[in-house]
Amino acid sequence: MTVLEANKIHKSYGNKFTRQEVLKGIDVSIDKGEFLTIMGASGSGKTTLLNVLSSIDRVSHGTIHIEGKELTGRKEKQLAEFRKHHLGFIFQEYNLLDTLTVKENILLPLSITNASKKEANAKFTSVASELGIEDVQHKYPNEISGGQKQRTSAARAFIHEPSIIFADEPTGALDSKSASDLLDKMSELNQKRKATIVMVTHDPVAASYSSRVIFIKDGQIYTRLYKGDQTRSSFLKDIMKTQGVLGGVQYEH
Amino acid sequence: MNTNQLILRNLHKNIKNYYLYVFALIFSTALYFAFVTLQYDPAMDETTGSIKGAAAVRVASVLLIAIVAIFLIYANNLFIKRRSKEIGLFQLIGMTKNRIFLILSMENFLVYFGSLLIGTLFGFAVSKLIMMILFKIMGIDQVASLSFSIAAFLQTVGVFTAVYLIIMLVNYLYISRQTILSLFHIKSKTEAREKRISIFEVVIGLFGIGLIALGYYVSSRLFSGDFTSIQELFTVMLFILVSVIIGTYLFYKGSVRFLANLIRKNKGGYLNINQVLSLSSIMFRMKSNALLLTIITTVSALAIGLLSLSYISYYSAGKTAESNTPADFSFVNEEDLSVFTSALKEEGIPFNKETIKVLVAKVKIDDIVNGSAASLPVEDGVLPMPIVSDASIPKLNVGENQILFTGYSDAMKQIVQFSSSGTIVLHTATQSFKQQYMGLAKEDVLSGYFTKGRPTVVVDKALFEKIAQDLNKELQFNADYAGINVQDEDIKIANDIFQSLEGIQRSGNSSQFALLNRQKENMGLIMFIVGFLGLTFLITSGCILYFKQMDEGDEERPNYTILRKLGYTRGDLLKGIQGKQVFNFGIPLIIGLFHSYFAVQSGWFLFGTELWAPMFIVMGLYAGLYSIFGVLSVLYYKKVIRHSL
Ligand SMILES: Nc1ncnc2c1ncn2[C@@H]1O[C@H](COP(=O)(O)OP(=O)(O)OP(=O)(O)O)[C@@H](O)[C@H]1O
Ligand SMILES: [Mg+2]
Repeated sequence: MTVLEANKIHKSYGNKFTRQEVLKGIDVSIDKGEFLTIMGASGSGKTTLLNVLSSIDRVSHGTIHIEGKELTGRKEKQLAEFRKHHLGFIFQEYNLLDTLTVKENILLPLSITNASKKEANAKFTSVASELGIEDVQHKYPNEISGGQKQRTSAARAFIHEPSIIFADEPTGALDSKSASDLLDKMSELNQKRKATIVMVTHDPVAASYSSRVIFIKDGQIYTRLYKGDQTRSSFLKDIMKTQGVLGGVQYEH
Repeated sequence: MNTNQLILRNLHKNIKNYYLYVFALIFSTALYFAFVTLQYDPAMDETTGSIKGAAAVRVASVLLIAIVAIFLIYANNLFIKRRSKEIGLFQLIGMTKNRIFLILSMENFLVYFGSLLIGTLFGFAVSKLIMMILFKIMGIDQVASLSFSIAAFLQTVGVFTAVYLIIMLVNYLYISRQTILSLFHIKSKTEAREKRISIFEVVIGLFGIGLIALGYYVSSRLFSGDFTSIQELFTVMLFILVSVIIGTYLFYKGSVRFLANLIRKNKGGYLNINQVLSLSSIMFRMKSNALLLTIITTVSALAIGLLSLSYISYYSAGKTAESNTPADFSFVNEEDLSVFTSALKEEGIPFNKETIKVLVAKVKIDDIVNGSAASLPVEDGVLPMPIVSDASIPKLNVGENQILFTGYSDAMKQIVQFSSSGTIVLHTATQSFKQQYMGLAKEDVLSGYFTKGRPTVVVDKALFEKIAQDLNKELQFNADYAGINVQDEDIKIANDIFQSLEGIQRSGNSSQFALLNRQKENMGLIMFIVGFLGLTFLITSGCILYFKQMDEGDEERPNYTILRKLGYTRGDLLKGIQGKQVFNFGIPLIIGLFHSYFAVQSGWFLFGTELWAPMFIVMGLYAGLYSIFGVLSVLYYKKVIRHSL
């Protein structure tokens, strides 16, 4: 079943004179429970794509449907409502409120859904221990490290068990151990709860956790890779090869 | 790129940052220039001008510049903080601090003196309006003229140059104290580090409340007779001021944070959107807020207090004139009276006349007086008082054994308090009469010539006759009171007649209208100056809060972005912001109102006779005008939120 379907989306920035077209007609369709990775060179429009898919930004042309409902053209209030209940975000810049402690940041999405305090605390404890940020829960964001911020941001995206999680470079600031912990957690959410995940990354290892990778170049989809029945390591090889071709550097054995 | 280019380029790029500062500058220059123009106006001339009181204006202009200087320094501080990143960047690419300071000063120079010029022009434009307002308040019939005063201009430029130098000094100290790192991080530094509710905080907060209460208490005792010499009074006033201000600061620092902390702790990290935007944001900046809130509270209290007091005296002018001369015209001399009434008849002005016979007898009042009556010439509890018969006052009726006091101002009530019942002994030359005291009526019956600040005694006709038989000769006035009332529309002409008739304006004869005008003229200038300063207080403190909120809004913009990404609507965010603004603007206002209420309570009776009406009018107006800044700041936040995604 298709959760998200985007048709011929275009996105340009700037006014008439400084117009820059970042997305030039992209079609994507994401199935329920899929773990999709978007890759591409820096500045190729990955964050932009993620933003329009997640209703944070508006497309210039094209349509986006989530669960059969059209997003484009909906009122800002309806979009906000939708994001609140169905989407989770891990942003490229950590995007934590610096006036709130780690715990308060993480609990933010729950406060809208009228969850009881007890329930909220239980969820917090489990997600925080899985991501290893229990020790810093009472600290403010400017008192913790970049990696801790990223894990906090991830915990916030997971806590209300959204149906789609959008993650922009979730492992960018993490060492390989914490990165794989976070990715394991994401796959687990993906497999056990059938949460749909859309992730942007530069890291082929991170990408190899997913079931499909699409590569973007010059605002268009350059190619797609499916994991299928391969093992993760052979999928990783494929990804690295494509990345090499895309970057103009031939991949060598 | 050479330094000049850099300066111009910077100026261009920072125009948006500057607008706040420019506004502050233009506004304060205009205000100051208008005021100083007034000071140099020919009408202000001590000998030839129509307004006396140049000294008061001069003192006020000094006060004005003090407020303005603080205001500008604060605006500059906010402004330089906004540019900390840029300064850090300059340092990073190897510029010396001196050079950065030079660039900044040059840039500042252009903006500062440019705004000064514009502000002066503005001030010039409004100075006529201000002059007209002054004439109106003082009841002077004169057309305000508009003339550019070179002296005023030079003074304005001189004073503002001095302020510029101070600002530069502040900037220099600021830059030289910063390291590259701190400049980059200044914006995200949290100010509330305490995570646990410390018992110390609670104690500090309670101590603050205690200090405020102590200040209030002492202020209520200020004129109760406990402190008599001027020296003592001043010391006590200073004590009140210091204890209330420090108390306020500790209250903000301790109690507010403590309460906020308590609420937050209770939530266990589970905050709703309103709390996220108000509580956490306020706590995040509590350190700088405590000081700022204290300043705003003090300034507001000062402004409201001064405005109330001067308005009380202005407002009471009518009341004072009335109690001094209850009828439109009062006479104590038969001849003068007949001269005046025949003149009125000649002009065809209808009038009515009442005459009241007044006797004086000693009254033993100490049984019905609470507290000291030091302000009245009481000897051994006995006070000579004017006595009238109830027959001459149609509105009042007194029984044979009774006695009633009437015509006593609210102000006197503060100093001497009469109980509502008791017995009183009335002494004539040889006899004494024991009467039952019936209380105090408000009606003014006699003119100031007879009362001299004392209430008038009303007795039954029969008793009045008895007293008349047995008079203590040396106490008597040897005159009867006569009051003339005319129609309201005739009062001006009647007053002109009163003033034009030779010899009848002698002591004892008076015109309420003339008295009122004289009161208004005296109080008008004070009222105007205090009003001007009060308004400046109001606007500067409002602006400072507004600027601070603008700064916070810009600083928190990324937060709004995140929250909106997470799915909060603009409406959700705005609701939280409103809560925060109710706190930021409401708390200093409410506490300021309390402070000023107690300040006014302690000594208002020295200024006039009416307390409640003028005080509430001032407080209402102040709160209304002040709230405008709160609304403006919410509108600003609205804009920030709208653009945040
Ligand atoms: N708000 C904006 N206004 C104008 N141009 C923008 C804006 N946001 C992004 N761009 C431009 O769009 C292009 C794509 O940006 P985007 O952030 O999507 O890249 P990205 O693929 O996420 O890169 P990275 O891997 O470095 O994060 C860039 O050339 C960028 O300059
Ligand atoms: Mg990006």
